[in-house]
Amino acid sequence: MEDAQIVNSLVRRCIAGDAVAWEEIVQRYNRRIYNICYRFAGSADDAQDLTQEVFIKMYRTLSSYDVERGAFMTWVTTMTRNLLVDHFRKTKQDRVTDSIDAPPSEHEDAMPLSDQIRDKGPAPDIRVQSRETGEAVQEALQKLSPELREAVILRDLQDMDYRDIAAVLKVPEGTVKSRINRGRAELARLLQRIYRQVM
Amino acid sequence: MPGETHNGMQCNEFEALLFDALDQKLGAADQERFRAHARVCGKCGPMFAELEAGQHWLKSLKEVEPPANLVNDILAATSGIPSYRLADAGSRTQASLGERIREWADSFLAPVWSTVRQPRFAMSFGMAFFSLSVALSVAGVKPGDLSKVDFRPSAMRRTYYTTSARVVKYYENIRLVYEIESRVQEFKKVTRPAQQREEKERERNHKNNTSGEPEPRQERNYSRDENQPVLACTPEQAPAVSVTTIRRLV
Repeated sequence: MEDAQIVNSLVRRCIAGDAVAWEEIVQRYNRRIYNICYRFAGSADDAQDLTQEVFIKMYRTLSSYDVERGAFMTWVTTMTRNLLVDHFRKTKQDRVTDSIDAPPSEHEDAMPLSDQIRDKGPAPDIRVQSRETGEAVQEALQKLSPELREAVILRDLQDMDYRDIAAVLKVPEGTVKSRINRGRAELARLLQRIYRQVM
Repeated sequence: MPGETHNGMQCNEFEALLFDALDQKLGAADQERFRAHARVCGKCGPMFAELEAGQHWLKSLKEVEPPANLVNDILAATSGIPSYRLADAGSRTQASLGERIREWADSFLAPVWSTVRQPRFAMSFGMAFFSLSVALSVAGVKPGDLSKVDFRPSAMRRTYYTTSARVVKYYENIRLVYEIESRVQEFKKVTRPAQQREEKERERNHKNNTSGEPEPRQERNYSRDENQPVLACTPEQAPAVSVTTIRRLV
């Protein structure tokens, strides 16, 4: 049986009230959803709470899933993304990187955001020494705007194709590609600055 | 410039092939032309290098391990049923064949059972069971008797013939009883003394003849006029005097 058929069968059993099938779904998708949440939110605690929220919502709305309208994975990812956007709005994080090299305010003497980022926290050499490369990338990822962040997470971390990402984000495929490009470029610039300072 | 050509490739074409190049989907020839353009083009080269670096950084991120209690927390928050995997982890290896069959059957029955356990259905099933048990007890069916019933085809056929023979026998017995009873009554009629019969007959006639008895008294004679006098008469003698009308002469 193909993976999609297995998943559809699990969903049907789950809708019928089969607790074992529900656990199978949780076992299959918890890791993936947790990773999306962790990379987007940047905190293990937030990721755990958000993953639970995603599954609670999934459990309540599972009967609304329509096999004809797309893959279950896309449906789950869309739900995750919507909750992440809600979470982002609640926590009111500032969008940083859309204009990372531009002054954030109208003041003439305002520093570019990249300089502000560089100045925050401990010195770069200490930071690089104390942290893993992955942590540095994760930190840089948090500096990206949510639109760019979600695009690169789905593409480069979750290996989703452009069409599915477009379905999840509800934007045209061209917009998805543009966001991915901008996200990668911003991330590279951020990390290059950090490492150049270390060198 | 977008229309600038380097090594046989314009910047427009370079941009169009950018995603395929990053996803490593370009053929060998295109890949070579693409790399050659990136090497010499002052705009496309740095852009491609930046995108490739960003992609590389992102790909270097490893998948994080979810907390150990995450699945159980999710299950507790949703279905409320703890993980069967963790619960059965120890016993699963030593499960007997019967247990495995039961487990397999449970995978089919569990959805049905979980539906039945819903409160709205549970109440309906409860009422249906109560009604059925009342109907059975009224009909005299004991659940204990059901265990003794033999459901083999030969036994069922035998039960059918025995039951029908019993019904026929009962009907014949009832018919015999009624026949005897009617014969006894006829015999009694015939052997009853003649005088007794006469007395009986007279009694019956007396009951039917009601001419000797006085007429029931009428409270009012509705056929009489207002000015007509009431005449006194004896029942034995007919009135000798004709009706006299007394008129008052003015």
